[in-house]
Amino acid sequence: MQPILLNSCTRAATAEEARFRIDAPIPGRDGTRVIALDAAAATVVRRLAKRRHTATRLLAVAEDGVSADGSLSLREMDGRVSNLGSELVDADLIVMVASADADPVAAHLIADGCSSRGIMTTGVILEHGPPDGPALEALRPHARVLMVTHDDSDVAEVLSALRA
Amino acid sequence: MLKAEINELLTQTGPRTPMGELFREYWIPALLAEELPDDDCPPVRVKLLSERLIAFRDSQGRYGLIDEFCAHRGVSLWFGRNEESGLRCAYHGWKYDVTGACTEIPSEPDDSTFHCKVKLTSYPLVQIGDVLWTHMGDPTRRPPLPEFEFTMVAAEQTFISKRWQECNWLQALEGGIDSSHVSWLHSGGLKSDPLFKGAKGNEYNLKDRKPFFEVAEADGGLFIGARRNAEDDHYYWRITPWIMPSFTMVPPRGDHPIHGHFWIPIDDHNCWTYSFDYHPIRALTPAEVQAMRDGHGVHSANIPGTYRPVANKDNDYLMDREAQRRGETFSGVKGIAIQDASLQESMGPIVDRRKERLVTTDAGIIKARHKLRKAVLALRDHGTVPPGVDPAHHRVRSAAVVLPCERAFLDSSRDALRAIAGVPQATV
Repeated sequence: MQPILLNSCTRAATAEEARFRIDAPIPGRDGTRVIALDAAAATVVRRLAKRRHTATRLLAVAEDGVSADGSLSLREMDGRVSNLGSELVDADLIVMVASADADPVAAHLIADGCSSRGIMTTGVILEHGPPDGPALEALRPHARVLMVTHDDSDVAEVLSALRA
Repeated sequence: MLKAEINELLTQTGPRTPMGELFREYWIPALLAEELPDDDCPPVRVKLLSERLIAFRDSQGRYGLIDEFCAHRGVSLWFGRNEESGLRCAYHGWKYDVTGACTEIPSEPDDSTFHCKVKLTSYPLVQIGDVLWTHMGDPTRRPPLPEFEFTMVAAEQTFISKRWQECNWLQALEGGIDSSHVSWLHSGGLKSDPLFKGAKGNEYNLKDRKPFFEVAEADGGLFIGARRNAEDDHYYWRITPWIMPSFTMVPPRGDHPIHGHFWIPIDDHNCWTYSFDYHPIRALTPAEVQAMRDGHGVHSANIPGTYRPVANKDNDYLMDREAQRRGETFSGVKGIAIQDASLQESMGPIVDRRKERLVTTDAGIIKARHKLRKAVLALRDHGTVPPGVDPAHHRVRSAAVVLPCERAFLDSSRDALRAIAGVPQATV
């Protein structure tokens, strides 16, 4: 006996059969945290906050946010203070957004925190100058996926594609 | 995840659709030169971007790509006679030249000029390498001819095949820029395929199944770098260029030829996969060419006389569960090309991207879709020439390199990613 009935792929892969695919609702991602690593990136994330209303938390590294004890202060887009430890509790994805002035220490702290908790890390580098600048150097060791782009709208595009 | 209207925007390529207009900005492969081997050989039916056309080679070796149907009564010119510098309709003898101009209407008086008022839509058809290329857009916007390296090297250094893929072009393309599937779906091929096996890079591929990815802008599209652990303090990088709209190259392995693909829409539910192999500095060996003809590497074994793979959706791609169990193939389907085709076709003719659960390792796909969408809208709204039209954008290569951890792949591989005649590929 053949392991698979002849022609079953022919039938199964038609547009007609696609209508019978289970159409269960797909929930959005609620474990995404977007963290801007510098002022220019924070401006992009702030703009995003005005347009997007999802469970994704949008944050920026606070001014002088890196403490001597290795903790990292963050700010929500409305100015409320937060910190890395509490943001990582329920997170499953951290999207670091950086421009040329990204703080490598902040990137390192975020990556360390994510690594110990099995949280995926991604970096979007808003590169308007020469490629392979300091931001890339800062994020490369710490982001499993890096997107280097001339297009600020890629941040929103990535989040939307991920349902975040 | 994509909204339904964006999925439609990117997948519909017929006349007057925004993505169709984008494709019509480029020179695209229309058919292989081998399909029109001789002057006055039989014409070939060609469907491209949802337009039905007929290709022929006239008595003087000129190529033509014209509307398939006679202007008179709508008869297919595939039944026509290709003779004396034109294609003559088998029904009433109307005759057309390679530009689609009607040169003769036998039923009209001898001195009639009526035939001068009859012209079928036609597109240029130009041989570069082993491919016949066409430009189906506005002639006033016609760009210079393409300069992809695989078409520029000597004939003995290059090989190309094509196969019918029974799904929309975009999901096929997305397979080409998704480096993360290689360590899984194609893992069997890395060990056994004559056009892949034996390379040092394969070991890195198989040892590290959780690559890091970097997606970077390129003039013509993107460079997608997949990074895996190599020896101490070094990474193994595989760098895939994507040139808009649908050209990708696979990073090389050892001294094997470099390969890549074009995905060209036939209509919205079918596309042609053109698969090429070339070596920048040496002739392909007879064994390599035979392996390609036999369907190894990125090629497929096709039903003789056709461009349909022997393993196709009618026979469940010759699924072999025993080979899967033995570990010879990961999916049970043999051959890299058909492994890809089987899964991409299984998504349905046009995958419903509203229902995806993408993850960040799909960043290359996310960015490519975004770039396509922006280019489509910029063309539609402002007439902006899209990336990848300029032949300078074609002169790229894929590369496989081992770099110290601290080195940036793009910075360290700029020369490797440039197609320079006579310079060997960067490979591991």
